[in-house]
This record gives sequence, structure tokens and C-alpha cells, in this order.
Amino acid sequence: MTARMRPFAGPVTGAVALIVVAAAAMLLAGASPIAGFAALLRGALGGPHQVSETLVQTTSLLFPSLAVAFAFRAGLFNIGAEGQLVMGGLCAGLAGAALAVPGWVAIPLILFAGAAGGAAWGGVAGVLRARFGGNEVIATLMLNIIAALLANYLVVGPLHAPDATGAETSELPRSSWLPLLLPDSRLSVALLFGIALAVSLAYVFRSTAFGYALRAAGDAPEAARRAGIDLRRTALVAMALSGAIAGFGGATIVAGVLHRFNVALSPGYGFIAIAVALVGGLDPLWILVASFAFGILQSGSLSMQAYAHVPKDVVTFVEGLAILALATRRFVAPRTAGT
Amino acid sequence: MDSFAGFVSLSLVKATPLVFAALAGTICERAGILNIALEGALTVGAFAAVAVSFATGSPVLGLFAAVLAGIALCALLGIAATRFGVDQIVAGTGLNLLAAGGTAFGLVVVFGQPGASPEVHALGAGGEKALIVAAFVAAFVLQAVLDRTPWGLRVRACGENPRAVRSAGVDPRRVRVTATVVAGALAGIGGAFLSLGELDIYSDGMTAGRGFIALAAVIFGRWTPLGAAGAALAFGALSALQFVLQRAGVPSELMQALPYLAALAALTGIVGRARAPAADGVPLDERPAHIGRMAKGSVENRGD
Amino acid sequence: MSAALELHGVTKVYPGGVRAVDEVDLALEPGEIHALCGENGAGKSTLAQIAAGKISPTGGRVSGADRVGLVHQHFELVGRLRVWENVVLGREPRRGARIDAAAARERVRELARSYGLDVDPDAIVETLPVGVAQRVEIMRELAREPRVLVLDEPTAVLAPVEIDALFRTLETLAARGTAILVITHKLAEVLAHAERVTVVRAGRVVMRSLVAETSIDAIAHAMVGGTIPALAERARTDVVPAFVARDVAAGDGAHALREATFEVRGGEIVGIAGVEGNGQTALADAIAGVLPYRGTMSLNGRTLETLGAGARIGAGVRSIPQDRQREALVLDWSIAENVALGDHDRAPLRRGIAIDRRAENALATRIVERFDVRTPSIRTRAGALSGGNQQKVVVGRTLSGAPVFVVAFQPTRGIDVGATALVQSRLIEARNAGVAVLLVSFELDEVLALADRILVMYRGSIAGSFERGAFDRARIGALMAGA
Repeated sequence: MTARMRPFAGPVTGAVALIVVAAAAMLLAGASPIAGFAALLRGALGGPHQVSETLVQTTSLLFPSLAVAFAFRAGLFNIGAEGQLVMGGLCAGLAGAALAVPGWVAIPLILFAGAAGGAAWGGVAGVLRARFGGNEVIATLMLNIIAALLANYLVVGPLHAPDATGAETSELPRSSWLPLLLPDSRLSVALLFGIALAVSLAYVFRSTAFGYALRAAGDAPEAARRAGIDLRRTALVAMALSGAIAGFGGATIVAGVLHRFNVALSPGYGFIAIAVALVGGLDPLWILVASFAFGILQSGSLSMQAYAHVPKDVVTFVEGLAILALATRRFVAPRTAGT
Repeated sequence: MDSFAGFVSLSLVKATPLVFAALAGTICERAGILNIALEGALTVGAFAAVAVSFATGSPVLGLFAAVLAGIALCALLGIAATRFGVDQIVAGTGLNLLAAGGTAFGLVVVFGQPGASPEVHALGAGGEKALIVAAFVAAFVLQAVLDRTPWGLRVRACGENPRAVRSAGVDPRRVRVTATVVAGALAGIGGAFLSLGELDIYSDGMTAGRGFIALAAVIFGRWTPLGAAGAALAFGALSALQFVLQRAGVPSELMQALPYLAALAALTGIVGRARAPAADGVPLDERPAHIGRMAKGSVENRGD
Repeated sequence: MSAALELHGVTKVYPGGVRAVDEVDLALEPGEIHALCGENGAGKSTLAQIAAGKISPTGGRVSGADRVGLVHQHFELVGRLRVWENVVLGREPRRGARIDAAAARERVRELARSYGLDVDPDAIVETLPVGVAQRVEIMRELAREPRVLVLDEPTAVLAPVEIDALFRTLETLAARGTAILVITHKLAEVLAHAERVTVVRAGRVVMRSLVAETSIDAIAHAMVGGTIPALAERARTDVVPAFVARDVAAGDGAHALREATFEVRGGEIVGIAGVEGNGQTALADAIAGVLPYRGTMSLNGRTLETLGAGARIGAGVRSIPQDRQREALVLDWSIAENVALGDHDRAPLRRGIAIDRRAENALATRIVERFDVRTPSIRTRAGALSGGNQQKVVVGRTLSGAPVFVVAFQPTRGIDVGATALVQSRLIEARNAGVAVLLVSFELDEVLALADRILVMYRGSIAGSFERGAFDRARIGALMAGA
């Protein structure tokens, strides 16, 4: 399955395709692509503040993208990174607001709560798949919506922060905030966690027996099963770990950026992550690069809207097209005919 | 209480877009395409209906535009999946993003304002009723088409074993693409019902996951049009019930979540599961393997 | 009389540069039964596809392909539909917008009557035995009234009696003027039923003859293009019980294993003879630990019930699965990565949490050398290898892992003569070295050639047992058919 999903021409072609599609969409909006890109790039990379914001977006995209890729490599469609991210954020937000302990205790607990929340949510889909053979695509789609409803119910209802204006939990104590990488920015050490995770995952896939088993389950389930790889356990573990990665990402947004859980935590990172994972060819290191590229899009889109009058939603549109265009490039390589 | 009649009619109103979408999902899955872009198809349908009604003043033209928009989106899925070998799930996800981004972007371009459109000429009470009736008629018609017509036979064969369809001299790509076209038209009408039937505006996110509920209805309906329409009707009643129970203090989110929870339950097979079409979601050049096979086959051997 | 189908200088070069068919001329006369023979990989199937107009040649001319029906080796039927629905698919009789189901059923009955193909039009295809399913596929093609009927290895899945019934049908068809092309590598069938024979080797026609004017030896010689490579010598071995199965039952439905009690001793090859679909798959899967079963199995006295698939491999129970592309290899991976599959989770290939790449490469290099895998490098994708070389990788992996008991399921299916001889020789050598081997094959000749003892399987049970030296071909054939 994953071999089919790897854009065969690689990430460079992917990036070029993206730019061309984006330009076309800007023309469609009646704006000059040059002005649009200029505004986008200025907004994303025009100064230290812009760069730090882009890196914040990069971080937010990186975790769910790694999550999606992790499941995909094991042959599972995790369309539910969005819901896992939300659940992770929710658990982290609740834990963070409740914990009155020093930061060096609280922060690991908050991040763990996030990962656990995501793992539980991914794990539900994993159990359905492993135990009942239920299609994980449908399961994760449903779980996304259930997560949103649950978060909304809790945050608007019983757990609504008395001091809050929006649908959010109470603010985390300052000591529980993730340390910043740059002063006066929103960029926290979460970026470093993400890079470390990407590098570790690359190692897991390339060199470990665990990664080997996951890839075998994804690329040739029947052969893997006969080689003693337990497909049910693999499905469960892969979905839970994938969820944990996404949930951890949600926790970093809570502890590093918003400092509380808000229902508007994610503008669809979990869905965009599918595009990022594909652009990155499901390779954790390339996903790092792809997350930065998509981070530029996310953070530059507002400036593009303000200065070049291109509605920011063009970015979502382009991301959708990117998925289609990139996925289309597979299969083009000729297959040798068997007899 | 006269609210019972009100409840029934509200159920029908809530069910109608789900019925259209569930029928669309059924026809696609029977042909072997797992269409997760239904959400996007509802979205573009709802948007196109309002945009065209706004531009022409005619809600009927709006409905027509919704059909075309739905067809365009779903046919893209069909073509991508059959001609370009794009994975159906990946393509569906892309199309959903495309629809969400495109309509939000379109709101600004067409109406000059983000978030929601201004009020436009809607289909009115008569039009709304006509579409409600049409939804259920469509269910019966589709069931008959699937069971009794040559095209229906080809669709069913395609969802089971497209290679056999090719051996029989029929191009399975065409069958699958036509199925997505029919599905797109149905989902487009469903979208138009949301924006021009029930309401008279388009607003971002108004489809609210109905395309995904429809997929749940397909499973509940055991991949038959009448079953899917029945499940959609039940889900519609659930969402109507929400207004009743909310007054009794039941959280609306719980009611809203019920169809999704029900779908998860359906995936366990505890409530009784029919077999999905063998080639549902399977690319044309691969031999179908049953989705459940993996879980069943990997049972660790303990003897007994 | 003009030919029903003519191929002139037909050539097919696949994108990878493989010349599957090279300048082939072939003409079929109405009413003849023509055999097309060749080894696996000789280009027979490609030629059949070209003749039936399913793929287009890269050179040459085909006339008459529009009236050709093709019966596939692996049937292309829709299992969950009814017989009549399969037969009329694509050419449905209509009444208004609807299918005229009554007319369709009648059409099936009529075909059944006129060609002696006994099938219930309302049966669901997936519930039918293979032989009946094949009749459905033949009917579907006959419903188009073809002038030529091409059958690709039609007897591969049939029992001897069913083979006779098939040829009776084909003779009826031929008598009514249809030209029949039977693609096969079973020479006895050719001599019994065909009038003319064409032999292809490496994509070229190497022999054409009237059947009456040739012999099995001449055809076999033409197919192989020389003498058949000799097999390894069978050494005298001291046999001790290694694998014991008692009252093993597994699977469900028509292809289930109902009851099997047998033992395989170290230093012997036990051959399972039988027609496909008589419980062999369930037996092999149960032994491999991928299918639950009742009953007991043990290896050198150690019970296997508590072991899963991976632990069984570790204990020395190793399998060559029947479908190498799906069940044995990860086609997108390199040869080197593939040789670790199944042993990736234990020493020497696993060190700590990591896979030892050097050990993996060394193993791959050893397998490539010892099993003569023709490949540019151990980094080559398994999917890029020919079928024979893929199988050598699988067999190499299985036999290199210090096996105690090997289950070889159709180990030479679809591979060329050279690879077949190599695989068979390596199995004999493993036996000579004291390994217990269970050979499951649908080719009786292969079982007769390799086995020390033959067990015949019919409908999920062992119907008979024969010791080498007392092999009775006719008796075995009868037991395979349920006599």
C-alpha cells in the first residue's frame, strides 16, 4: 500500500507542482500570482517574527504529518490525525489546568497526557480494525467528528473556564508553558521535539526490526503474516502510536502556543497533514522539509489575503489539489509484465 | 401533541440531505469506490446552488448548478481513481480539502464576504417538499436500477470483481466513473437542499459532517439503496430528536454524536454486519481481498 | 476453408524490453482442436491474450480476434453473482430498461443443454466447485458465439474425470465448427485430444506438427530446447519421525481440511497429490500457523499448538507458500530486505532493536550464489525479477534458515525448466541432509518424481498412501477424483 502512496518523482516535483497550482488559483481569484507569492513569502519569511511564526506552523503540522505517515507506512489510512490532535490537546489542556506542580514535573505530564489522549483516540480505530476488521478510514472519520463534539461539549459546558471569553479551558500556569526558543515569539522547544521525533522515526523505519515489521505489514500483509508478523497487533500498535504522535502535537500547541485548550486549536492540521505526508513521500526527514513548506503556506496566507487580496482559503484549495496532483503521479512507472 | 407532526416533518427535513448523500455513497461503493468526498460534494452543491441563485435569481437554476457541481467533484474522484490510479481515500481527502477551500474562497470572490452568503431566492416550501419526496423516490428507483437493469448488474459486478467485468467486454473504468457521476448528481441535490431548501443562505461548514454520516448510513443500510435511505431517515430522526431532548437537558453534542457512535458500533459488526462489496475501495488492477480477511486471518494459532 | 484466426509475424515487447512473443505465425482452422505448448514463461499466455484481442501486439497482424473467446486459467467471474448474471454480463437481454431475466436463464439452460455443461442458472458462483465454475466461464464465452475459443491451462484445476468432460464439450464445439486453441504444458492431454500442435519456446514457434505425426518425447524436447536438466541424486537416508499431525482439521466450506493424520520423517519427501481445492491450502496454512485448526501437531516431539507463525519459523517449520508474489515476497523491497522476512525478529539478523544489515546482505549474497538467482544485485527490487528468480529467492530463504520441516506448496508453479530443476534439486538435497519435506503439488508428475511417499488428498481427507516403488499412477489418479 505505501509504495503506491509514495510520489514516485519525489518531493522536488511535488513542490514545483504545488507552486504552479497555487499560481493558477491566484489568477482565478483575479490577483497577480507574483504579488500573491511576494506577499505570501513576505508574510512567512519577511523578518524574524515572520520566520518564527512560520516555524510555529511548521511544528504544528509536523506532528500530525508524522502521525499520518507512521500509520500509512504500516498500511493503515489514518484520516483521523485531526481528531487525535484535538483529543491530545484537550487532555493536555485539562491536565495543564489541573496540575499545580513545578514546571519540570508538569510539562512532561502535560505532554504525556496529550500523547495518551491521542493514543486512546487512535487506539479506538486500531481496536476496531484489529478486533473486528472494521475499516479504519470510516472509523477515523467518525472519530474526528466525535472528538470535535466532545471537546466542544466539555469546553462550552462543564469545563468552561470562568475567565475565558471563547470556548476554552483555563490558562495553564506560566511554569507549565513550554520554554521558548526565541524570546518574544511563540516558537517553543516543541520544534526541537518534532525534529528529534522525525529523526528517530527515520531510524525506526530504516533500521529497526519493529520498523521492518510495520513496513512489511503495510507493503505485503499476506507475506508479513506468514513471516510471523501479527497483523492485528501491528494495526493496533500503529494506530495507537500514530494517535500518540498526533496527540503529542496537540499537547505542544496547548503547552507551547495557546497555553490553554481552545476548540479552534486546529485549523485542520490533521487533514493538511495528509498532504504534507504525501509531499514528503512518507519519509520522516522529507516530511520535516515538507512541513516547513506547508508552514510557509499557512503563515503566509494571511498576509497574502491582506496585501495581495487573495483569500487565504486559496491555500486549503491548493493543498487539496496538491494531494490529488501528487497522488496522481504514482503508477506512472511502467510495470514489467509477468507471465 | 402537535409537536409529533412537527417532529416527523423535522425528521424528514433533517433526513433528506442524508438520504441523497447515502444513496450517492451506496451507488459508489457498489461500484467499488469508497467515496469519502461526499462531504465535499454536499459542500460544493450547497455553495453552487446559492451562488447561481444569487447570480440569476432562479433557485431552480441553482439546483441545476448544484447537480453539476456535485457531478464535477465526484467525477474527479472517479476519474482520478480509475484513470490515474490515485488511491481513492487519498483522492477523497484531497477533494474534501479542495471543496472546503474552494467554497470559502468562492464566498469571497462571489459575494465579497467571508463566512456566509447573503440571503438568496430559495426553493420555498413547495420546492422543499418536492425534494423530500424526490429523495425517497430516488431510493426506490435506485434499488430497482441496481437490481434489475443492465447498468445495475455491471455496477454490482464492478464492486465485486472488476477484472471479471473487463473479461466480459465491459470497461470497468467507465462503470465506476458513471457511478460517481450519478452519485455526484445525488449529492449535489442533497447540498442544494441544505442551502436552498432548508435555508436560503450558504455558510462555511454548513454540511457539518453529513457526508460522513452518509457513509455510516451506507454501512447500516448494508450497501442497498433502500437500506441506506432507511438508515439516513433514522439518523435524520435522531437529529430532530435532538431539539426535543435538548429541552430535557440532554447535551446536543451527544445527540449529534449518535450517528457517528452508531457507525463505530456498526464497524464492530456487533449489530450485524453484511459483507461489503469485495472490491469496495480496491483499485481496478488489483484482485479484491475482503476487508475483514486481515483481522480474521491473522488469528494467532492456539489450536483448540 | 479460410482460417478462423490468423496471426502473422506477431511480436510483443513489454516496456521493460522483454520480448514475450517474437514473430509468431499461427492459423486456426474452423473445427480443429489445436494445442499450444510451451514451458512456463515461453510466451503462451501473452499469445493467448493477443489472440483474444485483450492486449495489442507491438508488431505483426492479427485477423479474426474480434470473434475469440478466452477462458482464463484463474477464472474471471463475479463470485457473489448468479450464474446467469455472469453469463449475460455485458450483453444483457433487455425488456424495456430492465434485464430480461427469464430470457437470460433460458439462454443459460440452452447453452447447458447444447454443450452438455450442467449448471444451475440461479446458483451463486462462489458456492460452485472449480470444475463447475469453469463451465460458467466457458458458457459466458460461448454466449458470444465465438468462432475461436482459447483456453489457458484449462485442466490445471480439474480432476481427471472433469478433464474428460471438458474435452467432450470441446469436441462437441469443434464438431460444430468452432476452432479451439488449448494452451497447456500437459503433453498427455495434447496427444489424446488435439489434432495439431504448435510449440513455442522463448516467444518463438519452434515446432508445428500434426499430433498423429509426433510423440510426447519430440514435443517435450522442443519445449525445453534440449535435454531436461537432471535432478539431484536421491541419497539413502536414515529416517526418523520429525513432524506428526494427528486429527488435524482446519478451515471451512468446500475447501476445508476435514481430517488429516500423518507423519513426515526427517530425510524423506512426502508428496501430497490431489486436485486443487481439496484441503491442501488449509493444511499448509494450519502447519504454517496462519490458520486455526483442531487436532495436534508436533515437531521432534515438541507440540506446536502454542506457537504462532513466527515462533514456528523459529522452531524450524518453514514454508514455501503457493503464491510467492503475495504470500512470500514484498515486491517493492530489495532482495536483501526480502531474505530477512520471517527471520527479522531473531538472531543473527536482529541485533538489539536493529536489523543487522551486514548479516542481511551476507545472507542475500549467499542465497543469490547458491540458488543461482539471476539479478544485477542484491539491491534489485524483488518485483523486478522473473518468476523463476523470485521463487529461487523464496526457496533460498526457506532452505537457508536451518529448517527441520519444510512445506513446499507448488514450489515450481509458473517457473521455467531450469528454475524448476534447481528448486527440485535443492529440495532433494535438503531431504538428503535430513530435513523433513512435505511437498504439495497439483502436478501429479512432480509428486511422482520427488516423493518418497505419496498421500492422496480428496475432499479434505487423506484418501490413500503409497510408498515409493509401489506408486500406481492410475490408482492415485482415481483416488484424486474420489473413486
